[in-house]
Amino acid sequence: MNSLQIIFRQMRQRALSTWLTLLSVLLGVALAVAVLVVRRDAGRLFGQTDYGFDVLIGAKGSATQLVFNTIYHIDRSPGNIPYSLYTDLLSSPAFRPLVRIAVPTVVGDSYRGRRIVGTLPKLFGLDDQGAPLPPDRVLEYRPGRTYQIAAGRVFAADKFEALIGSDIAAETSLQLGDEFQATHGLPAPGEIPDIHKPRWKVVGVLQPTHTSADHVIFIPLLSFYTIAEHGVGLVAQKALRDGQDPAAAIAEFKAQVAPGAKDDDEAPDNFTLDAEGHIQLQLSPEVWGLSAILVQARSQPLALGLMYAVNNGSVASAVNPALVMRDFFGLFLRGPTLVLLAVSVLVTLVAGVGILVSIYNSVAARAREIALLRALGATRARILGLICAEAGLIGLMGGVLGLLVGHLLAGAGSFWMRQWLGESLNWTTVDGQEGYYLAGVVILATLAGLVPALKAYRTPVAANLVAN
Amino acid sequence: MAVSIRHLRRHYAGPDGSVVPVIDIAEFALADGEQVALAGPSGAGKTTLLHLLAGILTPDAGQICYTFGSAAPVDLATLSEARRDGFRGRHLGYIFQTHHLLPGFTALENVLLGMSFSGRPADPAWAEHLLKEVGLGERLHYPPAKLSLGQQQRVAVARALANRPQVVLADEPTGALDAVSARQTLDLIRRLCTEVKAALLLVSHDAAVTAQFARAVTLAQLNRSVAP
Repeated sequence: MNSLQIIFRQMRQRALSTWLTLLSVLLGVALAVAVLVVRRDAGRLFGQTDYGFDVLIGAKGSATQLVFNTIYHIDRSPGNIPYSLYTDLLSSPAFRPLVRIAVPTVVGDSYRGRRIVGTLPKLFGLDDQGAPLPPDRVLEYRPGRTYQIAAGRVFAADKFEALIGSDIAAETSLQLGDEFQATHGLPAPGEIPDIHKPRWKVVGVLQPTHTSADHVIFIPLLSFYTIAEHGVGLVAQKALRDGQDPAAAIAEFKAQVAPGAKDDDEAPDNFTLDAEGHIQLQLSPEVWGLSAILVQARSQPLALGLMYAVNNGSVASAVNPALVMRDFFGLFLRGPTLVLLAVSVLVTLVAGVGILVSIYNSVAARAREIALLRALGATRARILGLICAEAGLIGLMGGVLGLLVGHLLAGAGSFWMRQWLGESLNWTTVDGQEGYYLAGVVILATLAGLVPALKAYRTPVAANLVAN
Repeated sequence: MAVSIRHLRRHYAGPDGSVVPVIDIAEFALADGEQVALAGPSGAGKTTLLHLLAGILTPDAGQICYTFGSAAPVDLATLSEARRDGFRGRHLGYIFQTHHLLPGFTALENVLLGMSFSGRPADPAWAEHLLKEVGLGERLHYPPAKLSLGQQQRVAVARALANRPQVVLADEPTGALDAVSARQTLDLIRRLCTEVKAALLLVSHDAAVTAQFARAVTLAQLNRSVAP
């Protein structure tokens, strides 16, 4: 019998103790590995530089909130910016030389818990008339990757049509050709939803992007403003920006779009439809608001110039999403994941102590067997090696199983993140850091075995052979 | 000559720190293939002598020389502990009064374990042969707990002979067995030692056992200055 066979037989002999010790190592390593994977990939995810656009423009306020809300579709919108800023980006001498692509977005509604985003067909490679844009004028959601249609087509810019993300069908049951009504905001559980009157028809489904866009319903920007409550709200916001009385502005707006209406509380419809279903909006673009504008600058230095110019104005703020998320990760994720990692390492250390105690007790109970091995010709060094190797083997087996379970845990986390953020972790890759950790666990386990091994080393043979 | 002892001394420390001599043998020899019974009452030091002969204990003084064939004699008393362990694994077989099988190992594995520390490749066919010889060919893969005491002792006999030792040291191998099993086991030990051409030194306090040997000595005869 070789040493490995002897060790396995010894482990089998005290199977329960071995399995429990192995389990404690497994749990420690699994926790640590899961944290390592999440930490590594969260860093990659949130610290990424490959958003496909350089600048995100939105309301002044929290840069993190702006990025979360616009890119990951979580958190509340930090507020609106005037639509005129978007037209300025495309046409004003101050901004136009800096901007290669700009796409406006507006949010505020949802359908069955999934966000509705108002935008232009240009986000999907078409101009407002439905003609394809030159490739260099199409925004990339990741470098080299643009949104692609899996079924149907892109919505018309001025119709009640919708394009849904790849996961929306499974999440909301919406299918191509279905109609739906938007819910104002994102109602809390138990809250009575405020359902808007307009009905959108699903005309297209996007291919999976493995980003949060897979969980989003896209509608024409124009259709977003047809919602009566939005119209009133935007009028009030414009009045506030201009230093006017918002109540008076709303009253004037209502009188304009619905003369003679009796119910002062109800927001009036501010659009009509022509025979082909094209929206005729009675709300001036001066009043329109946007949640954000995604901008790809003509170059990196020009992106910096654009941010400088926007941030020094009073209307909006401009941020680099990659930098914002990197800062967020550094400030809010690195610390907690470090604590988690420390806890995991402590759990692993405790598991190491568990190995020590388990084998130490077994050595105490096996003094006669050890003496017998010695009597059969095993040297002290061989006994020492067998005990240390047994501890190391428990560490290795627990470590490898822990590595597997840790990655499965990270996989579960990845699934949850995909549901929440639309982004997933690369949980199948094993990197060098985990290899070092595993090696550390085996060394720790072997060292833990050294204490009982030394006890076994010192076991008096003659005394234990005659003792019964 | 398989083993010869000269001026071998060993003492124990008494509870009050006094020196208690246990072994003081001027000369004793065991020829190649010879089978000798060593008699003596319990506590006389028979096991201590076997431990000294096996290199498990070291003597206070004297020589324990093993000579195998034309090879130079090896004085076990002068070897380091590790070399004594290796020597024991390669050349000696040891049968304990209680069988001392490892509970986590099957009968066959217990015999194979006896080969693990000899420095020679394991020989499973020989291990199986030995177990068949001791009548356990149908119980190769039984754990000790599923064997009777007599069967366990027979496994221990097979294990002691696993390395084809030149000398077998047996310490009261029938002491825990009933009369029939004791007789069978004794016959087995003697027959297998003859088969592998091993010398046998068998310790027993049972006169009926020692009477079966052509040569039987008592520890009292060997010890020159130890009070009985």
